[in-house]
Amino acid sequence: MNFSPVHFIAVPLFAAFLIPIVGRFSKEAVKLIPGLVLLYLSYVAISLYPIALQKPIVEIIAGFKPPFGISLYFGPLAAFLVTMVMLIGLVIWLYSYKFIIREPLEKYYMLFMLVIAGATGIMITGDIFNMFVFLEITSIAAYSLTAFLRDKDGAEAAFKYLLIGSFSSTFYLLAVMLIYANTGTLNIADIAAKMQTVPNQPKIFIMILFLVGFGIESELFPLNGWAPDAYSQAPSPIGGVFGGIVVKASTYAMMRFAFVLFNFHSMFELILVLGVITMLIAEMSAMRQQQIKRMLAFSSIGQMGLIMIAFGVGTDASVRAALFQVFNHAVIKTLLFLAAGYLVFHSGSKKISALDGLGHNKPITSFFFALGALAIIGLPPFSGFWSKLYILTSVAKGGFLASVVLILFSGIIEAIYYLRVVGRLYFKKDVSQDNVRRTPISGLVAMGILAVVILYVGLYPHQIIDLIKPAAHDLVDKAAYIKYGLLH
Amino acid sequence: MRKATAIIILALVGYYFLSVFLTVPFGEKRNNVGQYYLHNTVRETGAVNSVTAIVVSYRGFDTLGEVTVLFIASLGLGAILFDKKGKKRRLQHASLIVRVGAHMLYPLIVLLGAYVFVHGHLTPGGGFQGGAIIATGVLLMFISYRSFETSHKALTYIESIAGMTFVLTGLSGLIWGNSFLQNVLPLGEPGRLISAGIIPIIYIAIGFKVGAELTGLLDNMLKTIKSD
Repeated sequence: MNFSPVHFIAVPLFAAFLIPIVGRFSKEAVKLIPGLVLLYLSYVAISLYPIALQKPIVEIIAGFKPPFGISLYFGPLAAFLVTMVMLIGLVIWLYSYKFIIREPLEKYYMLFMLVIAGATGIMITGDIFNMFVFLEITSIAAYSLTAFLRDKDGAEAAFKYLLIGSFSSTFYLLAVMLIYANTGTLNIADIAAKMQTVPNQPKIFIMILFLVGFGIESELFPLNGWAPDAYSQAPSPIGGVFGGIVVKASTYAMMRFAFVLFNFHSMFELILVLGVITMLIAEMSAMRQQQIKRMLAFSSIGQMGLIMIAFGVGTDASVRAALFQVFNHAVIKTLLFLAAGYLVFHSGSKKISALDGLGHNKPITSFFFALGALAIIGLPPFSGFWSKLYILTSVAKGGFLASVVLILFSGIIEAIYYLRVVGRLYFKKDVSQDNVRRTPISGLVAMGILAVVILYVGLYPHQIIDLIKPAAHDLVDKAAYIKYGLLH
Repeated sequence: MRKATAIIILALVGYYFLSVFLTVPFGEKRNNVGQYYLHNTVRETGAVNSVTAIVVSYRGFDTLGEVTVLFIASLGLGAILFDKKGKKRRLQHASLIVRVGAHMLYPLIVLLGAYVFVHGHLTPGGGFQGGAIIATGVLLMFISYRSFETSHKALTYIESIAGMTFVLTGLSGLIWGNSFLQNVLPLGEPGRLISAGIIPIIYIAIGFKVGAELTGLLDNMLKTIKSD
C-alpha cells in the first residue's frame, strides 16, 4: 500500500475510534497515539510533497471518477499547507503532553486529533459538499475544545462560537445547494468549468453566502465576534490550534473559491476592503486588552486582515506574500500562545499586569514570548520581517497606496502593544512568588522548535519562498485546477 | 427602534433569499450527476435502493465524515458534562401501564431498528435511521424505569469497533482495490439480502455506531444530578 492523501483522513479517524478502547487499559498510550499519528502523517506529507510538485495528485475515492464520486486534490498548495499543519500539530501535541492534566484526557486528545483531521480535509478535498462535512468536523470539535475547561466563561465562549459557527455552516450549505441546483455537480473543478453558465443573480448570491460562511471562520470583520472569547477561554494549546490550523483551513477555502469560482474583480476588492477594516479594528481593540490571551486573539484577527489584504490585491506576487504570511502567522502565533499558556500558568492570572518581572523568574518561557512578539511585529532577522516586507511591496505595486499606509499604521499599533508586554516582562520588578513550578521539558522543546523555525526562515527566507512559488501558482491558475481536477 | 430595524433587515434578507431560491428549477429532468446515479446504481453498486447507494457508495466518504460528526458531538458533550464521580437521573415515577408497555415494546423497537439497518440497501432507511430507532427504544426504557442503566463500557466498545470497521472497510479498498472505500466484494444478485458488496457491512457498522452514540448522548443529557 503506497502513501496517498486519503491517509490524512483515514488514519486520524481510525486512531480517534481506537483511543477509547486503548484508554481502558493505559492512559499513557492515549497520550502517545496522537503524537505517533501526527508523526506518521508528517512523514506522509513530506514524502508526497515532491510528487505533488511535479503534478497535483488527484485521488479518487470509492472508485468513481469525478464528478460522480468524491476526489481529493493534493496539489502544491495543499502539500504546503498540510505539511505545515502536520508539523504544527506535532509541536502542539508535544506541548499538550504535560500541559493538559485535566480529565477527560482521552477526549481532549481525540478532539484535538479530529480538529486537525477536519482542517486537513478542508485543504485536500476536491468536492464542495465533502468540504462541508469537514467544516462540520472541524467546527464541532472546536466548539467542544473551547469549553473543555468546563468553567462558566468557557461555556459562554463555546456557546457564542456554536451559535455564530452554525450560521457559518448553514450559509455554506445554502451556497452548496444553489451551486448544485445551478450546475448539477459538486466537484469543485467541474463547477469551475460550468460557472460561467450560471446567471448573475444567483452567482453573486452564492458568493455572498460563501463570503459570510468562510468569513466567520476566517475571522473577518464584522463576523469575528466569537474569536476573542474562544481563543482566550480554550486551553492555551487550543488557542494555537485555532490560530495556526483552523483559521488557515477556512482561509484556504475562501481563497480557492475566490480564484476558481468567483474570479471577478469586485470579489477581490471586497476582500481587500474587508481585510483593511478587520485589521484596523482588531489592532486597535488589541491595544485596549487587559488579558494576554485576548490580546493575542485580537492580534490574530488583525493578522488575518493583513493576509486578506494581500490576497485581495490578487497579483501573483501578493498571493505569494499572503501565503508566506499564512505560514509565518501559523508558526509565530502558535509560539505566542504556547508561551502565553505557561506565562499565565506561572503568574496565576490571565491579566497582563500580573506578568511584571516574570522575565527574571521564568527566563526561557519569557524569552520565547519576546522572540515571538518581535517576530510578529516584523523586526529583522525574524521570519515575520520578510513576509511583511513582501506584502508591503506587492500591495504598493498593485497600486493600493492607502492600504500600504494603513498596514504601516497598524504595524505601529501592533509594535506598541507587544512591546508593552515584553517591557513588563523584563523591566518591572519581580512580583511573582512562583519559584517552585517549572516549565516542563516537553513544553520548552515545543516552543524551542518553533523559535528555531522562526529564526531559520528569517535568515534563509528563500528556502521557504521556493516552496511558496508553486503553491501560489496552484492557487491562481484556474485552468490547471480544472484540467487536473477532472483528470483530463 | 432596534426591533423595527431588525425586522426590516430580516425582511429584506428574506426577500432576497426567496427571490434567488425561486429561480431554482424544481423537479425538472436535467443532465446532471443525479440522472447518472439513477441509471447506473444497480449495475455499478448492486444496491436496489439508489439513495443508499449514493450515501454509502458514491459519496461514502461524506458518510464517514458524517459518522464522525455525530461521534464528535457525542464525544464533545461527554467532555463538557464530564464528572469524575458520575451522575444520576432525576427521580421519575412512571405509571405501571407505561412500565409494562415499555417493557413489551422495547425489544420490538430494537428489532425494527436492526431490520431497518440490515436492509438498508433494499428498503427505505439505513444505518442512521436504524440507529436512531434503537436509541428511541432505549429512551423509552430510560423514562419508564428509573433504574434502567446502559453499560458505558459496552457503548464505548460498540462505538469504537463500529467506527474502526468503517475505516478498515475503506482501507481494504485501498489494499485490494485501487481506492479508499472501493467495493472489493462480489456484488451478488440485486434485491437479495446478501448483495451490494460492502454496503451492508458499512450500514450495519453505522447502525450500531449511531445507536450506541445516541444512547450515550441521551444518557449524558438525562443524568443531571450529582451522585454522592
